[in-house]
Amino acid sequence: MATTRCMRLLVSGALTASSLAAVSFGSLGGASAAAAASLPKCSVSALGKATGVVDVDFWESASQANQTTLQALTNTFNSSQSKVHVNLVQQAGYDDTWNKVQAGLTNGQLPDIAQLEDQRTQGVIDSGAFLPVQSCMNASKYSTSDFLTRPLNYWKVNGVQWALPFAVSAPIVFYNKLAFTKAGLNPNNPPLDMSALLLDAKALKASGSGMGLVLDPWHLETWLASANQLFVNNSNGRSARATKGSFNTSIGVQIFSDLKELVTSGDATTNSSTGPDEFDNLLGIGSGKYGMTIETSAALGTVTTLLSQYPNVQLGVGPFPVLNPNIRGGIEPGGSALYISAKSSPAKQAAAWEYDEFLESSSSVATWAAGTGYIPTRKSSTQTAIIQRLWQSDPYYKVAYNQMLNGLNSPGTSGSVIGPYADVRAALLAAEQSMYLSNVSPKAAVSSAESNVNNIISQYNQRLGVS
Amino acid sequence: MHADATALAPTSRHSAATEAASRRDRRHRRIRKVISYLLLSVGAVVILFPIYIAIVNSLLAPSQIAHQPPPFFPTHPMWSTYPTAWNEGHLGLYLRNSAIMTAIIVVGQVVTAILAAYAFAFLSFPFRKTLFIVFLSTLMIPFEVTLITNLDTVTRLGWYNTFQGLTVPFLATGFGTFLLRQSFLQIPKDLSEAATLDGYGHWRFMTRVAVPLARPAVAAVAVFSFLASWNNYLWPLVVTGDNNNVRTVQIGLKLLANTEVQNINVTLAGTIIAIVPLVILLLVFQKQLVRGLTAGAVK
Amino acid sequence: MTVAVSAGAGREAPAAPRHRSLRSRKKREAALAYLFILPALLIFSVFVFYPFLRNFKLALYENPPYPNLPSHYVGLHQAATVLSSSAFLQSLLSTVLFVLMVVPTGLFLGLALAVAAHRKLQGIAIYRVIFSSTVVSSVAVAALVFGTLMNPVVGLLPWLGINPTPSILQNPTWALPAVALMTVWQFLGLSFIIMSAGLQSVPDDLLEAARIDGASAWTRFWRITVPMLSPTLFFGVVVGTIYAFQSFGQIDILIGPSNAAGVHANVLIYYIYESLQIDNNAGQAAVLSIVLFVITLSLTLVQMRYLERRVTYAR
Repeated sequence: MATTRCMRLLVSGALTASSLAAVSFGSLGGASAAAAASLPKCSVSALGKATGVVDVDFWESASQANQTTLQALTNTFNSSQSKVHVNLVQQAGYDDTWNKVQAGLTNGQLPDIAQLEDQRTQGVIDSGAFLPVQSCMNASKYSTSDFLTRPLNYWKVNGVQWALPFAVSAPIVFYNKLAFTKAGLNPNNPPLDMSALLLDAKALKASGSGMGLVLDPWHLETWLASANQLFVNNSNGRSARATKGSFNTSIGVQIFSDLKELVTSGDATTNSSTGPDEFDNLLGIGSGKYGMTIETSAALGTVTTLLSQYPNVQLGVGPFPVLNPNIRGGIEPGGSALYISAKSSPAKQAAAWEYDEFLESSSSVATWAAGTGYIPTRKSSTQTAIIQRLWQSDPYYKVAYNQMLNGLNSPGTSGSVIGPYADVRAALLAAEQSMYLSNVSPKAAVSSAESNVNNIISQYNQRLGVS
Repeated sequence: MHADATALAPTSRHSAATEAASRRDRRHRRIRKVISYLLLSVGAVVILFPIYIAIVNSLLAPSQIAHQPPPFFPTHPMWSTYPTAWNEGHLGLYLRNSAIMTAIIVVGQVVTAILAAYAFAFLSFPFRKTLFIVFLSTLMIPFEVTLITNLDTVTRLGWYNTFQGLTVPFLATGFGTFLLRQSFLQIPKDLSEAATLDGYGHWRFMTRVAVPLARPAVAAVAVFSFLASWNNYLWPLVVTGDNNNVRTVQIGLKLLANTEVQNINVTLAGTIIAIVPLVILLLVFQKQLVRGLTAGAVK
Repeated sequence: MTVAVSAGAGREAPAAPRHRSLRSRKKREAALAYLFILPALLIFSVFVFYPFLRNFKLALYENPPYPNLPSHYVGLHQAATVLSSSAFLQSLLSTVLFVLMVVPTGLFLGLALAVAAHRKLQGIAIYRVIFSSTVVSSVAVAALVFGTLMNPVVGLLPWLGINPTPSILQNPTWALPAVALMTVWQFLGLSFIIMSAGLQSVPDDLLEAARIDGASAWTRFWRITVPMLSPTLFFGVVVGTIYAFQSFGQIDILIGPSNAAGVHANVLIYYIYESLQIDNNAGQAAVLSIVLFVITLSLTLVQMRYLERRVTYAR
């Protein structure tokens, strides 16, 4: 079956990327027997043996708005039984949580369960700080068949499920229908692929607005995934540890050159994805500076509220514009997942797993998704009344779900697992910026990005002692 | 002066010329005065402008903030940002924590500096000169050079996320010891001799005579110490984590900015709240502030 | 310390035992002195000297990416790699540029304000308070306020026509100058206070005499005021350089660890912090800390040698 898919891709695609053929699907299958045997233990029965209430500290970084939903869910869990009590410890953000975990490895202040960002997967594995949730899943015979494939696979490495997806999102297009009309574009047709994106941006610029392009390396990776292009080797780090980049291909160069065209022509203006400017691309739609932008689907709720204050804005939402409609790919997930600490007592681990199961239950997933705008990661949760109501009142919430449900499921579309992921993303970003600022050619930019990425990964592996 | 000139002037023509000259002088002086006030006001506006904009923006609604050109006056001030910043930003707690940490450090630095400076100024003991150079050498080692091991030491002592961790590494000051020693050395020898004659022990001399006489220098050390520790950012950042009972206002403001990233008005309200106590202190302790910051500037 | 020899003190011992009492008094005095010095010395030993020396050991060991895993000995190899890396050279360059942007500007503007406020005008006290006010603005406040001013969407700059791409704080050319601008503003209060104090030490009668002799304001300024200000300027340069070198909070708030290297705002102190806290690379951080020490030491020595020679003391 894998080979037939490969053949179809090679035939239909107009590209010569040989890396497509090298993609292996085997690693995403069921857990290999050897891996299962060497998993650390998760004794779910330890909870029953514990006397008194078991306290669980949950380090989470929900925003102020989402915190209410999380608190409500946690209160429900706490009051529904008397064995486990979960304390929410709100952190300032994903990076802060990770830094605290790092500090905690020496000062001993660690959580029992933590919400960690997507890029930390290899770090979790290498530091030994967390228990693969596969252990608890095996111990309690937990089934994941109801989950959407790619969010589940994102956190599965070499056949082992390290965490269950929690706050999942993907980039989508936000645009102002009125600006589209003014530019002579059909307000109900957001751009579905890169070439349409470029054309629409040009039309918007000509009519006085333009596009806001936030400089987020995650978006670059999503474009790679939309063309089923691996980011790093060894099946994006899933079949074995990643040792170098794999994106210096015609697909990679295509993405860079399209973006260079978009920005240097003046059709799009860039802003950073961190710091005080991080939402300028969205605020710009309100002020009329932009007619369109690409942003995480998790922002849909905030954006809807924010832009409703502007009389000259009528919000439109569209799926992420794929690189090339002739190449079958998939939109990769991003966001965060729930990890159980390896350093907590067995009773606390079992208690954390109980809470994890609760948060990942169909109704909790529905409540969480409806309250926050994250993608509901279980198919059954979309049938619940709360999600159906949400989708009826605001169909835009379906966009992110549908693009996550549909599309190709392969290592190239499920995201990457890299040790020094943050530095790798920074290198990618720097290469992208060099095109805009120093007029570096797309080919040279991709090439230098890949050599930097290779250096970063090999230095990390050397420091770890595995190279 | 003017009267003298006219008294000395013999001829009426001379006095008329001087009259005209003095009128011109007065006009020049007035023009110069106006220019002076103009320059001063421009300087004041430039300095106060950022804070003014912060106050204005803290009272704007989010839709007004994004408006171009930016509004320079809040027509419908949104006062609710201040209680929001105070409550959700836990600013009251953070201000308290900063105050506690600063108080401990200031008292610690003043006390250890007084003791050491007294010893260097009034007592003779072997290795006095060497030890003083040792004290001065700490001025050559900026705090950041000691960061790695200090974090390690403090963590091992179990002082992570505590006031001990925040304050103990800073309880001594080479600069303060130097200043106070200078000041003590200026106390006339006859005074110390007379005190010994009167049977004053060292402790009594120090507390009753030396320190009161060195009060300006003590105040200087206190002010300098206060500003440095209130403003401390790097150390509280690495040595405190998640503990609202210990987090200082500097880190608290950063946290507020991160959580209220879409509500710039609330963040700015927080900054204004944080700066008000210091402005009050500035107005009350101007003189000590100037003395503290210029100690060592003018020979 | 003078030995009190007076009749009527009531506690004098006879001649021979006085030797012993003198020695024991000296011993007591020394003991007291050591007692007084002990608290400060203890703090310095544990939190200044020991950490300083330990850097030399840490620099020889390479750390894995996670703090709970053991480090391994690599000798000087790590120092060689770090010191020849482009990241380090960029960091040094950024640091030097930053200091050059902040110190002269801050001192010059502070002097200008001090000169303007050095008059007997009505209400001058209010101006003096305003000019020194930035000294109480904490680094977080100043950074957040300026961050808003420089925000490309909600700030003032688009209105002034300044709209670079990428926006100022994400721009490799303009990020560091922007942080320098904010630092200069924050430094102005201190600079003003220092310069004012210096101006006050210039005797008015000297200036008055020069004025009567026909010297213009310009000449008076350059020939009398500035030379007499040289100790103050010297102090200002020292304080300003230390101030600029220790700038950390503003970079953390305005730019952040993930962007600092990319926008060339990774000054040495920030690079040390990132190496330690973000990359868990204590060995690299130790190498950088030693470099920082060498730089500040050389700066202090240079300033003491060259600038103090130029300083003319009015005696």
